Amino acid sequence: MKCRAFFLCLLCLCGFTLTARAGEKIYNAETFTLKNGMQVVLIPNHRAPIVTHMVWYKVGSADEPQGDGVSGEAHFLEHLMFKGTHRVGAGEFSKIIRSIGGEDNAFTSWDYTAYFQSVSKQSLPIVMALEADRMINIAPPAKEIEPEHQVIMEERKQTIDNDPRSLFWEQLRAALYNTTPYGIPIIGWKDEMKNISWDLAKSYHDRWYAPNNAILVVSGDVTKDELKKLAETYYGYLPPKKIPQHVRADVPAFSSKQKLFFNDKSVQQPLWVQVSLAPSMRQDYKTGLALNLLEEILSGDSSTLLYQEFVVKRKQAVEISFSYDGNNRGQGSLWVYAIPAANVSLNDLETSINEYLQNIVKNGLPLSEITNAKTRMVDSVLYARDSVAGPAMVIGQGLASGLTLDQIENFPNEISKINEADLKQVIATYFDVSTPHWITGYMEPVKK
Amino acid sequence: MIKSILLSFVIMICVTTNAVAGILNIKEVTSKNGIHAWLVQDKTVPVISMQFLFKGAGARNDSPAYQGLSRLLSNTMDEGAGDLTSTEFQKKLSQNSIGLSFSAGRDDFSGSLKTLTKYKETAFHLLRLSLTSPRFDADAVQRMVDSNLSRIRDDMSDPEWMAGRIENDVVFAGHLYAQNAGGTLTSLTKITPAILKQKWKNDLTKDRLMIAVVGDISPEELSTQLDAIFSSLPAASVKNNIAPIDLRQNAKTILYKHDMPQTILSIVGQGVAQTDKDYFAAEVMNYIFGGGGFGSRLTDVIREKKGLTYGIYSDFSEMDFAQTFHINTSAQNKNIQNVISEVEREIDRIKTQPVSGQELRNAKSYLIGSTPLQLSSTDRIAGMMLSFQKWGLPKNYLDVRESAILRVTKEDINRVAKKYLDTDHFAYIMVGSPDHVKPDKQYSKLPNVE
Repeated sequence: MKCRAFFLCLLCLCGFTLTARAGEKIYNAETFTLKNGMQVVLIPNHRAPIVTHMVWYKVGSADEPQGDGVSGEAHFLEHLMFKGTHRVGAGEFSKIIRSIGGEDNAFTSWDYTAYFQSVSKQSLPIVMALEADRMINIAPPAKEIEPEHQVIMEERKQTIDNDPRSLFWEQLRAALYNTTPYGIPIIGWKDEMKNISWDLAKSYHDRWYAPNNAILVVSGDVTKDELKKLAETYYGYLPPKKIPQHVRADVPAFSSKQKLFFNDKSVQQPLWVQVSLAPSMRQDYKTGLALNLLEEILSGDSSTLLYQEFVVKRKQAVEISFSYDGNNRGQGSLWVYAIPAANVSLNDLETSINEYLQNIVKNGLPLSEITNAKTRMVDSVLYARDSVAGPAMVIGQGLASGLTLDQIENFPNEISKINEADLKQVIATYFDVSTPHWITGYMEPVKK
Repeated sequence: MIKSILLSFVIMICVTTNAVAGILNIKEVTSKNGIHAWLVQDKTVPVISMQFLFKGAGARNDSPAYQGLSRLLSNTMDEGAGDLTSTEFQKKLSQNSIGLSFSAGRDDFSGSLKTLTKYKETAFHLLRLSLTSPRFDADAVQRMVDSNLSRIRDDMSDPEWMAGRIENDVVFAGHLYAQNAGGTLTSLTKITPAILKQKWKNDLTKDRLMIAVVGDISPEELSTQLDAIFSSLPAASVKNNIAPIDLRQNAKTILYKHDMPQTILSIVGQGVAQTDKDYFAAEVMNYIFGGGGFGSRLTDVIREKKGLTYGIYSDFSEMDFAQTFHINTSAQNKNIQNVISEVEREIDRIKTQPVSGQELRNAKSYLIGSTPLQLSSTDRIAGMMLSFQKWGLPKNYLDVRESAILRVTKEDINRVAKKYLDTDHFAYIMVGSPDHVKPDKQYSKLPNVE
């Protein structure tokens, strides 16, 4: 995920695993759709007189035209959305938000692009008017384009090129998603970023930015009636467009195993990672639920299986985790990641971890661990409500990557229905690490 | 359209502040045994957040040989307590969805407990155990040492972390703050369970304790729990004598050469204390100059107009014995000298020319109007209350702050800019391979790492 400002990236990391009590919806969100096709979601929260207002476009860097030698224009467009419209001057957007005591930012992912503001409830009409304006009236003055192009080149240097570890993760993802746009960094490849232009960003905006390809999510101190009126006034008049299909091809089933070896002079701490493709929540909701539960069972916290086995008992690792990234329109992914203990080689660690995983394939998981993980996931819904921006982030991300509001709201209920047999099946299907689906990465200091 | 929007802010500020007062309805609770806490009773969600700190019990007490001791203590106090081993303790937290953690800064040692009301008895019990009878089993301590060593080795590839190490060494030279609160590769391996135990016994005492609680709990129940959790801690500790440090440097450019496409730049100077009469003027000045991100002058000129960087920010921050002013950015090696010239031009401008009425109004309305955004969860409300206690601020501090900010004038801005944007006494710290930079001092090795 690339953000317009660096420090806000942390905010966006709250994943889908934030979650609810059996039989209970997580957020009690309400939804309705405007005549022009724009979906509106309200998450009521009346603790403080504030609102978080987000517009999520169901389009991201994976929808950029392919094979044209350019990458990163979706993210560049996100930056230019702050550079003025026919009515609002360049840079004025954020200044107005600050002047009303608000915070604002935006971020781009492979599947979605979101713009958000947190303001006092009285200011909601202002941010709606401004957001609607730039959906249709984007018009950055020519002199703004080149400096902003430089800014994103600096952004790439600061967030990726300065630290070789980031280059390793970038390449690992490229190997995993191989032939598909998910393998291209959101910010763009260094050399391809040079070719980004306003014309390309504009044509992307013309094609995809429209009310019927956007979701309005408002969390905070506002009622459904108030929001309905405001949404109709500020977004209701925007004309819909014919939105193209999102193309999300699967990665071909290759037959050769891939391994990445990264040795760099600035690396001091070795690291081992193993990654594979898996269906996303949208592609296969039930499998996605089981994989989310599996993540919680294996590495929910430091009392769970992987940490206890490899860090506490065997002392082969200092850190270990298994995670599932299923918030995609196209294929999702599975990640096993470990930092070895001081005298353990990456190869030995790999052998141990993979033997352990094969043992799970054969013998299944302890029932008590499954039950505990479900309880934690159901409990966490109550924590999830203790926030204003958090729920808007989770719901927006889910909807924008193709889930329904019911699927998001019922997530914990559905998780509690996953049984041992379901888990066994996904483990058998996805944990065969000998197949070429699994790619291994080894990061180590330069050998002396 | 824009003009009318800007005019409406005056009305809004009045409305939001009243609402803030309603949310921050702080009650003081004192238990039978004299444990004191601030409470906001809030039933929005069935959650209780408790945050507390032991003032002055942080890394500034670590001896040079045992740098990282406070941090390691914070890592090990939840690794087994009473009859519960590390694994059993962690399992109990996990089975009851309880969040319990400790942390150590330069000054203070802090803790945070977050629980659902249905598990509160267990949560309070585990907190009491971890505070009053941590085990420090050798195996668990070793695991936390190893985890810290791995963190340091990983950080050694991070250029911003490198800049932090150099900065500490330069601006706090000769002071306890210069040490590495995260420990070094050698110091951490020397720390034994016995040393941890001694630190725990000596420093976590009731005379340093400050507590803030938010959530679904009554003052009566909290009072009972405060005694159960905290009252058996030792009464008082011996305090170190620490001298305040003045950060005015003799205009030094310091470089740590590192091969990468950008240079990371940190400009550091003397900051302002909360108790200083200029504090709020400095806050407003900083917002206009570089603190506000989009809309501030540094971002406007150096990022938006010139495209030289992805981010540039300035800020004031305060520790118990030092106040700092920072400007942080990164830019291509060939451009960093240009960035410095632009920064200095902006410093000169805010010192010598009056800020516009519009800038002053916008800064004030942001600084006042954005306060309610901090009150969106139990943790954040507890955190705000704890910081009021830590800095000796009154319960109605937000009102005090608001009226003080509203009083700041254009003349005040020029005056505090002259005082604090004192380029003659700034340190310019760089990590990278900057062009056209002649350093006064060059580091060939990171201090306090190995």
